[in-house]
Amino acid sequence: MELKICHLYPDALNLYGDQGNIICIRRRLTARGIEAAVTGVRVGEKCDLTQFDMFFIGGGQDFEQEVLLSDLAAGRAADIRAAVEDGKTFLTICGGYQMMGSHYLTHDGVRCDFIGAMDLYTEGRSERMIGNMLFRCTGENSGSLVVGFENHSGRTYLGPGCTPLGTVICGRGNNGEDGTEGARYKNAFGSYSHGPILPKNPAFADFLLKTALERRYGSVSLEPLDDKYELAAHEYMLGRLAQ
Amino acid sequence: MNMQIPAIIACKLTRLALRLMGRGGTALPGKVALRICPNLLGYLAKNVKTVVITGTNGKTTSARIVEQAFIQTGKSYFANKSGANLITGITAEFAAHSTIFGRPKCEYAVIECDEAATKAIVRQLRPSLVLVTNIFRDQLDRYGEVAHTLENIRIGLSAAPEATLCLNADCSLTASLAAELPNRTVFFGVDVPIYKNRVSEVSDAPYCIRCKSEYEYDYVTYAHLGGYRCPKCGYSRPKPRVSVTRILSQTADSSRIEITADGASHTADISLPGGFNIYNAVGAFTALTEFGFSASEALSALGGFECAFGRMEKFDFGLSPIRMILVKNPAGCNQVLNFLTNLDGDAVFVICLNDNYADGTDISWIWDVNFEVLLGMGESLKKVLVSGIRADDMALRLIYAGIPDSMLEVVYDYDELIERMASSETPVFVMPTYTAMLDLRRRLSEKFGVSNFWE
Ligand SMILES: [Zn+2]
Repeated sequence: MELKICHLYPDALNLYGDQGNIICIRRRLTARGIEAAVTGVRVGEKCDLTQFDMFFIGGGQDFEQEVLLSDLAAGRAADIRAAVEDGKTFLTICGGYQMMGSHYLTHDGVRCDFIGAMDLYTEGRSERMIGNMLFRCTGENSGSLVVGFENHSGRTYLGPGCTPLGTVICGRGNNGEDGTEGARYKNAFGSYSHGPILPKNPAFADFLLKTALERRYGSVSLEPLDDKYELAAHEYMLGRLAQ
Repeated sequence: MNMQIPAIIACKLTRLALRLMGRGGTALPGKVALRICPNLLGYLAKNVKTVVITGTNGKTTSARIVEQAFIQTGKSYFANKSGANLITGITAEFAAHSTIFGRPKCEYAVIECDEAATKAIVRQLRPSLVLVTNIFRDQLDRYGEVAHTLENIRIGLSAAPEATLCLNADCSLTASLAAELPNRTVFFGVDVPIYKNRVSEVSDAPYCIRCKSEYEYDYVTYAHLGGYRCPKCGYSRPKPRVSVTRILSQTADSSRIEITADGASHTADISLPGGFNIYNAVGAFTALTEFGFSASEALSALGGFECAFGRMEKFDFGLSPIRMILVKNPAGCNQVLNFLTNLDGDAVFVICLNDNYADGTDISWIWDVNFEVLLGMGESLKKVLVSGIRADDMALRLIYAGIPDSMLEVVYDYDELIERMASSETPVFVMPTYTAMLDLRRRLSEKFGVSNFWE
């Protein structure tokens, strides 16, 4: 088996160690003898997105995020929407997650159109929500606990066309109001959790990989790995936040 | 009513009381003074000629070099400690060096200033000269993104139009300040690449600060520093007045470089190794010569300064030399790894990762550090010990970098860790984050009498 993975905008969206997710995806696949081919697609680079099974989009500085808008408008947004509709797996974090939504409203009321692949939008506020976080994925999203770190001023609100990824136990999540964290539509996932999210949440990581493998190969079971280090980091933060 | 004198007295008394209790380095004396008189710093700094050093990395080392020139030429000056670079610490330092009536006891001050705090501090200090070392992403939970840091520094400097600015020409962010401010500006830079083998790293500023087009580079020294130019709007690295024109030699303890200023070339010996210290040296040289020191006085400061607190500081309590190098953000940590992995000889590495406020509470930056470069050391890397509050996360990062399980060890207890360092037959390089360094030093001071940071 193999997965073709696309890392979108590694040059512009690379703020909070999120490339650790790519390292993790590669590691957990190759440990099971599954080939993992990762391709970085930079801003302005022509690339046929239909060849990929899985996509990763990280978060960036506001300055770099603006650079992307023209790239998205030049056809990339449509390609991304098509891939999502096709059931391809997306992991999108923070700024990348916000970009999957329809738009962003700055706190002085300026509207900025985004990809529109997921039924959600984000409002900018001046107060940032910063800190360690813990949430539980909903049952259909593995039901596992996820630890991470959030740092965002945007408040994300989900429409009826997608469901929350999980419920906040500790931290603020999507908007600090409704207790939801992240979103899912088909196999597209979004979260505010840096950390990076995958390495120290191995149950969620495997769940995510399975969505991509099963789309391509039908039912797949992943053999368990020795997650000694992963679980030590996971449980440390769990213990700290559960107090 | 004039509140300066009560504020100064309160500050001095609080400081004295803390010392008597054996505690130092807290923000309390300055806090007390500022509560009584919020503009005290401006009052105290009025008649002191001040050099301010700010920027993300290299502040402390640059400040120590500048300070060394004041020492060697016998000038009447004082300087703040690296842990006291916010308004509270700087105010307390000024109060300590003035009479209770606010008259300065020294003619000069060398002040390292936190980049996020420049906004509040420079306005009051009205320095004669400001050196900006560089701008990198750093502890995003505290500083936000680089554009934000740049803006804080710009606002700070805009309140001191009479100050001479010494700016790093190789940092596209720092150099962009020149066009935004009316000040007299002097650029410094490195005209040549500094590493034979450079770690690949994420750029903190790949797009033009003016028009957001991607920069083109003639060469890169490290991270986003080097000879950049924007193909669209033409913004480019300004030609430095003071340049490093040749790297003559680099060893584990020092570097020899050629500095060219206004057409005259000088050979400079720097008593610290590593490419990042070449930048600190040329920045400090520029600040010193602009401040009125002669080139030979500046050169002798480069070769004569003492290693700053936690910057390649050497300890001799163990069987082998133990060196401590503070790490705090991806660019700085990559530079440290760049340097260490290019050394000859065996090594044991110790990494202590904390997530207290002063370290940055978000530790995800360790995933932006190229720890994979450690694999290139092969047989000469003997062991990696991991400790600190977030030891488990650090261990996971190293495992994912490909460090074999057998080479990695998590040692939670600092006493055991120090024991392991002391009994190592291989030279030890300790890389702690800020509060981990303070914790380690406290234990070292109890065990071996290593001096504490406020002494
Ligand atoms: Zn430009």
